[in-house]
Amino acid sequence: MSQEKYQTLLELANQNGTTYELTEGDNGTLVVTGTAPSAEAKQALWDEYNRIDPDFKSGDLILNLSTGADAAGGGVHTYTVESGDNLSKIGKQYGVEWKAIWDHNRDILKDPDKIYPGQELKIPM
Amino acid sequence: MKVKFLTFLTLAAVMLMIGCGKSDADLAKAVNDKLAADKVVGVTAAVTGGVATLTGEVADITVKTKAEAAAKTVEGIKSVTNNVTTKPIPVATPAAPDPALTGKITENLKKAGCTGANVTVVNGVVTVLGEVSAAKYQECVQVIMQAGITGLKNELKKGS
Repeated sequence: MSQEKYQTLLELANQNGTTYELTEGDNGTLVVTGTAPSAEAKQALWDEYNRIDPDFKSGDLILNLSTGADAAGGGVHTYTVESGDNLSKIGKQYGVEWKAIWDHNRDILKDPDKIYPGQELKIPM
Repeated sequence: MKVKFLTFLTLAAVMLMIGCGKSDADLAKAVNDKLAADKVVGVTAAVTGGVATLTGEVADITVKTKAEAAAKTVEGIKSVTNNVTTKPIPVATPAAPDPALTGKITENLKKAGCTGANVTVVNGVVTVLGEVSAAKYQECVQVIMQAGITGLKNELKKGS
């Protein structure tokens, strides 16, 4: 049903060069995961979403769009180390192996057992 | 006399066909060519009495609509019956287990300056409570949806 409801949004995506995939989330939620060619294109789709479902209250669409620029970053997230953290603990928060974090941060880390509060780690997602 | 009459009938029938324009077979070819030209994949058209019937299974509703629009532009098509179906879409899996998702979204919200929003995740379904300013509202919802979630109960309030 959601596909019909959000048809104009999907058509707009086709027109403005956004590539997307559809999956079904909880209770028939339509999950649109895609990449927009620019921030403007992404904003246009969010505007359309807001027009169809004011303030995004219905919970029947998850619009997960990145722009080409975000994608180039490889979906890397930055995490600031807090007191008491270690790589395994941080990894668990994000569902990634500590080794993956270590591999992504060898430029700033000398030893995987030694991280310090305030360091900014790249978390591969 | 009888022969002459038959000849007349045949001629009349031929004239009638010419007068009607394209045959259903021609029309079907024209519609299928138009579908191909518009890069509509997975849809086949059949034509009976000038009525095009579209069948096939496509990726999403936009292709179904596009196929119908394309068929309608073909001259001689009186109407279009759209029997195209959309493929069942695969089931989404949450990007991470619940506590990880909560952590990730909370961190992302903090970074985006959405400090008034609070999230909890149960069975991959995110519930967001709290209040953010109207100016920030859409950005905060975007941050949550971009975390790779599969459901959202949005109870976030839009402040002034």
